[in-house]
Amino acid sequence: MADTLVAEIRDLRAGYGEIQVLWGIDLAVRTGEITALIGSNGAGKTTLMRALSGLIPMECALYRSDGVDLAGATAAQVIARGIVHVPEGRRLFGAMSVEDNLLMGAYSRDIGRTELKRDLDRVYATFPKLRERRGQAAATLSGGEQQMCAIGRGLMAAPQLLMIDELSLGLSPLLVEQLVAALRVLNGQGMSILLVEQDVTVALELCHSAYVMDMGRIVRTGPGRELLADPIIRDAYLGVPAD
Amino acid sequence: MLAAQVLVNAAVLGCLYACIAIGFSLVWGVLNVINLIHGSLIVLGAYLAWGLYQWIGVLPWYVLVVAAPLFFAIGYLLQRLLLNKVITAPVLVTLTLTFGLDLILNNAMIYFFKADYRKLTLVPSLGSISLGGVVVPVDRVIATAFALVLTGLLYLLLRRSRVGRAVVAVRLDHDAAVLMGVDVKSIYAIAFGLGAALAGCAGVLMALIFPISPLTSSAYLGKAFVVCVLGGLGSVSGALVGGLALALVEGVGAVVVGPSYATTLSFLLLIVFLIVRPQGLLGRKGFE
Repeated sequence: MADTLVAEIRDLRAGYGEIQVLWGIDLAVRTGEITALIGSNGAGKTTLMRALSGLIPMECALYRSDGVDLAGATAAQVIARGIVHVPEGRRLFGAMSVEDNLLMGAYSRDIGRTELKRDLDRVYATFPKLRERRGQAAATLSGGEQQMCAIGRGLMAAPQLLMIDELSLGLSPLLVEQLVAALRVLNGQGMSILLVEQDVTVALELCHSAYVMDMGRIVRTGPGRELLADPIIRDAYLGVPAD
Repeated sequence: MLAAQVLVNAAVLGCLYACIAIGFSLVWGVLNVINLIHGSLIVLGAYLAWGLYQWIGVLPWYVLVVAAPLFFAIGYLLQRLLLNKVITAPVLVTLTLTFGLDLILNNAMIYFFKADYRKLTLVPSLGSISLGGVVVPVDRVIATAFALVLTGLLYLLLRRSRVGRAVVAVRLDHDAAVLMGVDVKSIYAIAFGLGAALAGCAGVLMALIFPISPLTSSAYLGKAFVVCVLGGLGSVSGALVGGLALALVEGVGAVVVGPSYATTLSFLLLIVFLIVRPQGLLGRKGFE
């Protein structure tokens, strides 16, 4: 287990059409850890997520997951490999029921009814609120419940690596705390997580190690607690001068 | 008594209109393609029913078993081989492509089947049911029942099956569906195939009731269009409500202002809806 990499990328470049956003990203996500990706708006965090999940084309020297080459893979191939993206803004299927959303999460897996049922129960155990609302249209959920549903939908794909983009966006501190607790539990069960998060304090306190992005490049990396204590990081991202 | 007869007629016809429109609505909703070949596929289905009855005496409702997979295959291949190449282009491009395909299919039918109106007449006739002065031919009742069954099957397929959920997911959020590992192009082909299968089956049922000619394809297409606008796009219940509304307007219109104005009335209603309530009776703005 020690120091195996659930995702390893080297010199990743991507963008939208003529506009290049990412200029050579190196990233290593260790198995069983929570890795955070922080940076200001427009640093390229979401673009990196979209490139890793195969939504946009990219070039790289290396993209590997547990020894499997994923360079140039389609979204379907990436998710089949167990790298699952919970997108920014949840992107639930609003008119579908909560349970149908969860079932869509398992779309890429060739599994039978009993296995589906077992995995649904597992998600409902993690987020009991979802069981209460299973028949309700996803669009009618509150923001926090929608995020739970989005994460639950990701879990239904049986991820090796769960990539969550903007966990706390638009949620109250109390809800964020609940979601963070849920992620800690999942991580305790062995789930590797790559977390993109605007709230730098939340991210750095939760993660094992973190990467700081700026202008499409990785500018710092290190253990979360170390970065949290770093005066430059505090100044730039926490808005508190070093004390 | 006249009112009861008008209502029963509208209910019977409305279910058939829903069946005509539902495949058109599915393709429009999921692929954002206005499928102008839909009317000609209905007519082709009607010819299939007519031909099989004339030659070997197969009753139309048995023809459904053949028509559904046959038309599904036609639709699936059309989408795979042609429409998928231009699916990301603006809607005018796909509209033009289906317009061209419709010209080809319609003229091929005129060439092979001639433009003469034909009628599928069951021998012996099934007669009609009379209930308290309201009379309905039995073949119409059967056609209506099958139209409802087909509509119900599509509803179940979209709601309960893995592939059906994927079709709905692509319609609701294309990118999120891709993230789930859905191969969107093959879902497009399946949706278009389903649309074509429903058109073919609707045609088979129409053969029991209406005269058959390639020239009727535009009338079917027009009705499908009106039903979608009335009921709202992309939902099975919307097509059903739209179909019933159209049949009711036509039926009442025929009594009040005369049969020759019934179609005019329904298109007037279309214009009013496009101005006042473009999302239709059951359609929702934004999604669905």
